[in-house]
Parts: sequence; C-alpha cells; structure tokens
Amino acid sequence: MSQINAYRRKFMATLGGVAVGGLASSVILRTVQAGDVPAKPADQPVSNQVRWGMLIDVNRLTDGGASMVEACKREHGWGNDPKARPEQQAQWMRTVKVTDKLTKYSFTLPVMCQHCEEPPCVDVCPTGASMKRADGIVQVNKHICIGCRYCMMACPYKARSFVHESLTDQRPHSPRGIGTVESCNLCVHRVDQGQLPACVEAAPNAVIFGDLNDPNSRISQAMKALGGSQIRADLSLNTGVRYLGL
Amino acid sequence: MSSKTMVYSELHASKVYYFILGICLALVVLGAFSFFHLEHEGHYVTGMNNQVVWGLPHVFAIFLIVAASGALNIASIGTVFRKGLYQPMGGLSALLAIALLLGGLAILVLDLGHADRLIIAMTYYNFKSIFAWNIILYNGFLALCILYIWTMQDRKMKVLYPYAGFFAFSWRLILTLGTGSIFGFLVSRAYYNSAMIAPLFIALSFALGLAVFIILLFFVYRLDKRELGDLVLNRLRYLLAIFVAAAMFLELARHLTALYIAQRHGVEQFILLEGGIYTLLFWIGQVLVGGLIPLSLIFCRALKNNHWSLLLASALVIVGGFAQLYVIIVGGQVYPLELFPNAEVQSSFFDGEIHAYAPSVWEWMLGLGGIGLALTIYFFGMVALRFLPRSLADTEVEAS
Amino acid sequence: MPLLSHIKSLLGLVLLATLLVGCDAGVPEPNLAPAKAKAAQCVEPTADMRKNHMVYLDVHRDKTVIEGIRTNKHSLNECINCHVVPTREDGSAVHYTDEKKDHFCASCHTYVGVKLDCFQCHADRPQIVENINYQHKLSSNTYHLSAQSVQPDMNDLLWLSQSQTQGATQ
Ligand code: HEC
Ligand code: HEC
Ligand code: HEC
Repeated sequence: MSQINAYRRKFMATLGGVAVGGLASSVILRTVQAGDVPAKPADQPVSNQVRWGMLIDVNRLTDGGASMVEACKREHGWGNDPKARPEQQAQWMRTVKVTDKLTKYSFTLPVMCQHCEEPPCVDVCPTGASMKRADGIVQVNKHICIGCRYCMMACPYKARSFVHESLTDQRPHSPRGIGTVESCNLCVHRVDQGQLPACVEAAPNAVIFGDLNDPNSRISQAMKALGGSQIRADLSLNTGVRYLGL
Repeated sequence: MSSKTMVYSELHASKVYYFILGICLALVVLGAFSFFHLEHEGHYVTGMNNQVVWGLPHVFAIFLIVAASGALNIASIGTVFRKGLYQPMGGLSALLAIALLLGGLAILVLDLGHADRLIIAMTYYNFKSIFAWNIILYNGFLALCILYIWTMQDRKMKVLYPYAGFFAFSWRLILTLGTGSIFGFLVSRAYYNSAMIAPLFIALSFALGLAVFIILLFFVYRLDKRELGDLVLNRLRYLLAIFVAAAMFLELARHLTALYIAQRHGVEQFILLEGGIYTLLFWIGQVLVGGLIPLSLIFCRALKNNHWSLLLASALVIVGGFAQLYVIIVGGQVYPLELFPNAEVQSSFFDGEIHAYAPSVWEWMLGLGGIGLALTIYFFGMVALRFLPRSLADTEVEAS
Repeated sequence: MPLLSHIKSLLGLVLLATLLVGCDAGVPEPNLAPAKAKAAQCVEPTADMRKNHMVYLDVHRDKTVIEGIRTNKHSLNECINCHVVPTREDGSAVHYTDEKKDHFCASCHTYVGVKLDCFQCHADRPQIVENINYQHKLSSNTYHLSAQSVQPDMNDLLWLSQSQTQGATQ
C-alpha cells in the first residue's frame, strides 16, 4: 500500500518477533483449557456477549490464502455451477493480489465477507433476509431472500454472489439454491458446534479465529499486540475480519 | 375541474385501436415468456452476473417508475398550482402514471431471483431499507392515483379532489426521492454515493414523464380524430424544455462535484472519457440526443408550432433518458469497486477489472414486456373510463 | 406465482379432504420404507406429523438460521437422513424432482399438489461421505448425520512461530 503502510509492515514484523515469546506461551496455555470456539449447547440461542472475528496474517499465508479458498469450496460445495458463465459463478471467497501502484510492492490476501458491525447489506435488504446474528455473523436468511441483489450492490467487498442456476446435491449442512444471494457465513454450522470455520482450519499458522468481545481470547490478545487492519477502513464498518500485513 | 364546458368521453375502440392493443399484448406475452424462462432456467441465461447485478431490466423498470412519477406532473400542475389549462388532462396523466408504474414494478418483480416469494416482500419489512420504503411508496402512489381519478370521475367525491391532488403531488416527490436514494445511499459505489442523485432523479422524472405524456397524448388524439390545439402543445413544449434543462443542469453539477473528490476521479474518468460504450452513451445518447438536440428543436424559431418537432424532441428525450439511466445503473457497476486505494488488484472474481455486460434477448423481452403492460393498461383505461377531453382545441381550452 | 401456488395448495387440500372422506383406498402411501428400516416411529406422533410437519419445520428453521439453535429433533436434515435413502437398488440417485416420485416428501406432496421449494437449496438425500480427506473428519462413515465436534487442532496455535513470510516467498 502506501509507503507508510509498507514501513508499518516492517515495524510490525519486528514487533511481532518480539512479542512472540510472551504472547504465544500464554496463548497456548489458555487455549488448551478453553478453545477458541467454546461449544454452545445445541438448544441455546447464540448470544450477543460474543462477537466472532478472524485475524489473518497475510505474511504468514504462504499461498496467499488459496488453501483457505479451497477449504471453503469443499465445505460449502460452491464452485460447481456448470451452466453459469465465469462471471456468474459464485465465489464465497477469493484471493486478491494487490500491487501498490507506486512501490510495486505486492501481496496476496483472501477476501470474503468481512462481517461488519454495521453491515451495509443488512441495512439495504428489503425483507431483512440479509441479517447479522447476535454473535456478529453476517449471513443471508435464504428462506426470505427474494433475490433482488440489492445487498450485492451495497457490499463494498464484493463478498456476495447470486446463484444463477439450479443446483443439486448440495452439502446438507450448507443449503444453497437458485435465485438467492449467498456469502461467507463464517461456517455458522461449525461455529455453533464448537468447531473452527473450514478456512481457519486450512491455514492454522496464519489465521486466528475467536471472540473479539473477550479481552482474554487469543484473537483479542493478538490484535492488542499486533493490530489488525480493515479493508476500506474509511467506511467505518468495523469489520470482524481483520488483517495483519496490509 | 373548473371547466363547465369541458366534456369527457371514452376512447372510441376502432380497428386501429385494437391493432395497437394487440401489439401491446404481444409485448406482454413476450415479457411473460421471458419471465417463465428466467424462473425455470435461472439468471444464467441473462447477461447479468455477479459483478453487474442489475442490468437492462432494471434500466427499463426504473425508467418506467421514474416516468410514472413525472407523468403525474400534469395533474399536479392543474390541481396544486391551479393552472386551468392543465386540469382537463389531469385524469389522463393519473392514468398514465398508474400504467407506467405497474409496468415498471412488473419488470422489477419478475426479475427477482425468487419472484414466487412476492408475498414475503409484502409481509417482511426491514424499515431501514430504502427498498422496503419504496415498496410502500409505490403502493401508496397507486392508491393515491386511483383515489385521485375517483375524485375526478365521481361527482360525490369531488370535495376530496384538491386534497387527493395535493397528496399525490407530495407523495410523488417523495417516491422519486426514494427511487433515487436506492442508488444514492450505496456508500461503496463511487458513482452513486452522492446527494445529487435524488434531485437528479426528480428532474429526470419530470422530463421523462412529460415526454411520454406528450407523445401518447398526441397519438391518442390523432387516433380518435379529436382536436389538439397549439395552446396546449406549446405549453407542454416549454415545460419540457425547462425539465430537460433542469435534468442536464443537475447532471452537470453532479459531475462537477465528483471531480473535486479524488476518490471519484477514476469512475468519472471512466464514464466521461474511457468507458467505450458508456462514454458514447453519455455524450451522444444523454447529452446530445437527450439534451441539446431536443432543446434546440424546442427553441428553434422556425419550428414554432410544429407538432412533429415537438414529438421528435419528446422521443429524443426518452431515448436520452434511457441512455442516462443505462449509464448510471450499468455504467456505475461496470467500473470495479475499489478495495485498496492506490493499488492494483487482481483476482479470480474480477476485482479491479472493468466488468463486461451485454444484455441478452431475455432481458430485452422482459423490459419490452413491461412497456407493453404499461401501454396496455393505458389504452385499456381510456376505453373503460372517461379520461379524454372531447377536444383540446385552442378555443375550448381558452374558454375553460 | 404465490397466488397460483396457494390456489394449487387449496385445490390439493380439497382434493385430499374429499379423498380422505370419500375413499381412503385411493390415497397412495408415502414412501415410508427407508424410515421404517431405521426407526419404529417419527420424531412426533405420526398423525400429528402428517398434519403439522410444516409447522415444526418452519419454527425450527427460523430458530436455526436466526438464533443458531441446532437441535436435531425437527431438523430438515434429520428428516432426510431418516426418511430418504441416497440411492435406489439399481444405484440411481433418489431426488425430490425425480419422475418416479419415490422420494419420501415427493411421494406425498406430488399427490397433495403442494409444491416445495425447500430442495432447491436443501440436500434432498443424505450425503454419502465421499471421503472428504481434508481437515475435519466425520465419525459416521455412512451418512453425514450430524457433524461432530472437533477440537481445534494444536497446529493452529503455532501461528506465530513460523518464520517465512509471504513477502519473502513471492
Ligand atoms: C428417526 C427417523 C425419523 C426421523 C428423524 C423423522 N421421521 Fe418421519 N417418520 C418416521 C417413521 C418410522 C414414520 C412412520 C411412522 C408410522 O408408521 O407410524 C414416519 C412418519 C412420518 C410422516 C407420516 C407419513 C404418513 O402419512 O404415514 C411424516 C409426514 C413424517 N414422518 C415427516 C417427517 C418430518 C417432516 C421429519 C423431520 C422433521 C421426520 N419425519 C423425521 C421416522 C422418522
Ligand atoms: C434459498 C435456499 C433455501 C430454501 C429454498 C430453503 N432453505 Fe432451509 N435453509 C437454508 C439455509 C442457508 C439454512 C441454514 C443452514 C445453516 O445455518 O446451517 C437453512 C436451514 C433450514 C433449517 C434448519 C437446519 C436444519 O437442517 O434443520 C430448516 C428446518 C429449514 N431450513 C427448512 C426449510 C424448509 C421447510 C424449506 C422449504 C419450505 C426450506 N428450508 C427452504 C436455505 C434454504
Ligand atoms: C403425508 C403426506 C405428506 C408427507 C409425507 C409430507 N408432506 Fe409436507 N405437506 C403435506 C400437506 C397435505 C401439506 C399442505 C398443508 C397445508 O398447506 O396446510 C404439506 C405442506 C408442507 C409444507 C408447507 C408448504 C406450504 O407451501 O405452505 C412444507 C414446508 C412441507 N409440507 C414439507 C415437507 C417435507 C420437507 C416433507 C418430507 C420430509 C414432507 N412435507 C412430507 C403432506 C405431506
């Protein structure tokens, strides 16, 4: 990005190096006891005490996030719409290569729904299908989605896709279908059962998932020590997906 | 209605009338066919995609909705501003407003991914959404127009006539503001996020609604061999000029303000200079055909009182307005979203690329179907009820 | 369209009612074989289920999607897991839209004429685990009945200890 950012990156890397010793050990201690995603009893509703978030260290993604995308594809079964043209095919998550115009410095990062605290897609949806769960996960309630695509117009991250054709044999835990809008839902079906999102499991060395509201969670501590920038921070959406090394 | 002498009658259903109605119905059938095809196959048969999510059907729909609000102008000027000349045409203008709105809404609804869930759109409301507000505004507009027509047609309801007129007038302004705000509130899209969009839509609605009104008025009077004098036509002519000029002015202001905002330079440069078809549509379609030529036609002294020049001007305004909406709606989406300022981005999801959009035949059919529906309702309405003043000859109009 | 489907469902109901009252023998049995092979009874009393399954499903779906409640009792996935076999004896896949109408929900719904859009999105047959050899493992080797909790892998705690950076590798 800008020169300042490039400088900050280096600085962060150094800082990270210093912080590792102390941080990592305490982190490991804590996690062994609790886990990043404590299992919720199945019959309990999600609570607004937690806010799920993700911290992606771009410099540690050796493949720029391609394996995360693959994992997402497999988990949710997208990337299999033979009739649609490439520009019509759904992509819940993709890797974006960014090259600074001036410095030519370039890096690759995965981009998906950023799970904003103030999601524009939720504000614009006429039926309320585009929704934010109590725990901060932004998703489409496809049962009342009428397929107007206004949320896709509103999303600054191009995180949403519209299903352009009929599908069969979807993943049972991730229903998707013709004429509705879909996007990353942080793997709600997994998180609700105390599992990590599929993409996080695929990049264990570069991504932390956890509760942003809990100051003692691993993700909160890492962000406190290292920061966590947002894409398009200028929009003040307070995203739940944060990056290191932008 | 102030005039005692003004007599209204139904349109005579001649052979030509049935021929026109037949053409309109054929368009409706085309639209319906397209809808069933989309519903069955999915939107992959269209040119729309995950980058350009709103395409030609939305241009048609928003054109009709915006024109609907403008078409009611004639009635408003007659009722709210008490201009006697316009009053006899009030009913016609309200009928046209209803017809255009229904045509536009039909397109919008039939293009939904789940048109079968219309009942959900009517029962689940997210009051933060401009779109949801628009659903209410559209329904209210229809109800008010019907009430308005009722107060004109039924002597017993006449006491309500000025109130209905006033409400319809204010409602209509809000409605167009709402339609404009559908785009104006999209913070993420550099081309839309502007306070100028809503006023621009209002000016545009005046111009488009009036242009459609003039053309249809003229042809219906021809069709039925009724008299339509210069007095009325010249008033409409200058009104049209004012509206077209206002729309052009607001568009100019919008682009000028955008040029002061660094974030918008990219998209402005794209639309104004480098956008290929969109640049062409902007300069040739919107500015020249939709603005400068009609204005010259209207103000050219040699063409004063020339009906055909007025008709041509109206037709060009319609073409230009359509081009303008196409540039706004499609052109605004074709330009990529900016994820990282001052950086180039590249991905499998077409980040950072100018997106491609070419409407398919199905989208054209759906759009034309909406126009067919609007015209069907309009022509049918005129035969069913007494909307048409028997004569709008200069002598008649002056007397009233 | 909704009007149409409502009229259709009304017609279906009328038809069902007349047939139920008139001649019981005319009502085709829903395809209960797969379920009966697995369990003696449904998740609610059969008569209740016959009448109210849509209520249970509708309530549960909002609870799941909006509140994140994930009990199995009224889960659509579980209905399918119990009521539908993935393939017929000849190896062909069973789908809701099949001509044969032997899919449990289709076997009844075709007859009553109430169209379901659920299976536009929802899997209409249990997933045969096609050996998904990636991170999370499923305990059941036949059907994806319900996902198992997997403890977060220890690997993911070591995120800071690896030294190579993307900038260096690119
Ligand atoms: C554990 C297996 C199982 C599950 C899970 C299950 N069912 Fe059943 N269901 C059955 C069995 C067995 C019967 C037959 C009971 C009988 O013959 O009395 C049945 C009967 C029914 C019937 C009545 C059919 C008829 O007309 O006789 C309906 C309707 C039904 N189930 C719907 C559902 C729905 C909807 C769900 C999901 C919410 C569901 N079932 C979940 C096993 C199951
Ligand atoms: C447009 C796609 C779509 C359609 C159509 C659809 N669903 Fe869903 N459904 C979903 C999604 C997405 C979820 C959320 C899954 C999750 O969070 O794990 C879901 C979840 C559910 C759940 C809770 C999860 C479970 O397995 O129990 C139920 C129950 C449900 N749907 C019932 C229905 C019924 C009944 C219909 C038909 C009337 C239907 N759905 C139609 C997409 C759809
Ligand atoms: C015994 C016959 C029978 C079986 C088996 C059956 N249904 Fe139904 N279902 C009905 C009838 C009858 C209605 C219509 C009731 C009404 O409209 O009030 C209905 C209505 C529904 C509705 C509400 C539809 C609407 O448009 O309102 C849903 C959802 C539904 N069923 C889902 C299912 C699913 C999923 C299955 C398979 C697991 C299933 N049904 C199996 C008879 C059946």
